[in-house]
Amino acid sequence: MATTTATITLSSADMMDNALSLSNTATLYTAGTNTGITETTGLARKKFTDASEFKLLDFGLAGSQMADVTADKSAKVYIKNINDRGDGTKYVAVLINSIEIGRLYGGDWMFFPWKGGNDKDVDIDASDATETTLEYVVFYE
Amino acid sequence: MATTTATITLSSSDLLTDNLSLSSTMNLYQHGTTATGLDECNYHRANIPTGTNFDLVQDSAALNTSGANYLYIINKNTDVTDYVTISVRTEVIGHLYAGDWMFVPWSDATTDNQSSTDQTGDDSSIEIQAFTHECVIEYALFHVGETLVDAADS
Repeated sequence: MATTTATITLSSADMMDNALSLSNTATLYTAGTNTGITETTGLARKKFTDASEFKLLDFGLAGSQMADVTADKSAKVYIKNINDRGDGTKYVAVLINSIEIGRLYGGDWMFFPWKGGNDKDVDIDASDATETTLEYVVFYE
Repeated sequence: MATTTATITLSSSDLLTDNLSLSSTMNLYQHGTTATGLDECNYHRANIPTGTNFDLVQDSAALNTSGANYLYIINKNTDVTDYVTISVRTEVIGHLYAGDWMFVPWSDATTDNQSSTDQTGDDSSIEIQAFTHECVIEYALFHVGETLVDAADS
């Protein structure tokens, strides 16, 4: 088994009267066990100039790594929009089965557990056709 | 304006043949700005009983209008079999097992403009349901503004 950890640190010196400093580390386990996740896509990079919704992680692609991600398993997804922030109005929306979760502006990242399964693809929908580059990793069992 | 940063570090010495070491830091900015930070935050701790799907973070017109909100959730339980599902509308995003955390942008893309006490509409509220055991959850929402609820007894 492998040991993979994900650490988050949230900090702000001036949002509130006292400094915010929050940090937690999760070890990535298979579902409901203390056994480390042993599979990953590795770090991937995707460029596109498409302003319409497309599948970034396609469960329905037969034989693909993503076809292994189902509700009874554990999967974690990291996605980063590595574009510059620009004027702060351009983003990529991240969707699951065409339902929008949130928007990654240039420089933003996200990390979330992914249920996967039939039609539960992770889709991307950019706010315009500006060339955008994403980096992403999936850890799964 | 405030300066708030979120940093992730992903690491493993034995998942791949070479070390995995990835780190990224982002600033939490307002939509349509180049460097204006979000300046409002809610930080909660809640016990989520089993058996019911709850609204954890309620949608609102203000959250929907800004679109640039960020949400952090951690499951503080220690039994590895305990988990919660996190959902938006009809879609389960994923299962958050004991010790797991998630950090996502949340646009609150669909709002029904109902009051915060009305849970009946189709909206993008963040929903949570615990399985196996009650789960202790901590969560933080970074945002640019909420729709406040009029006091009923004023």
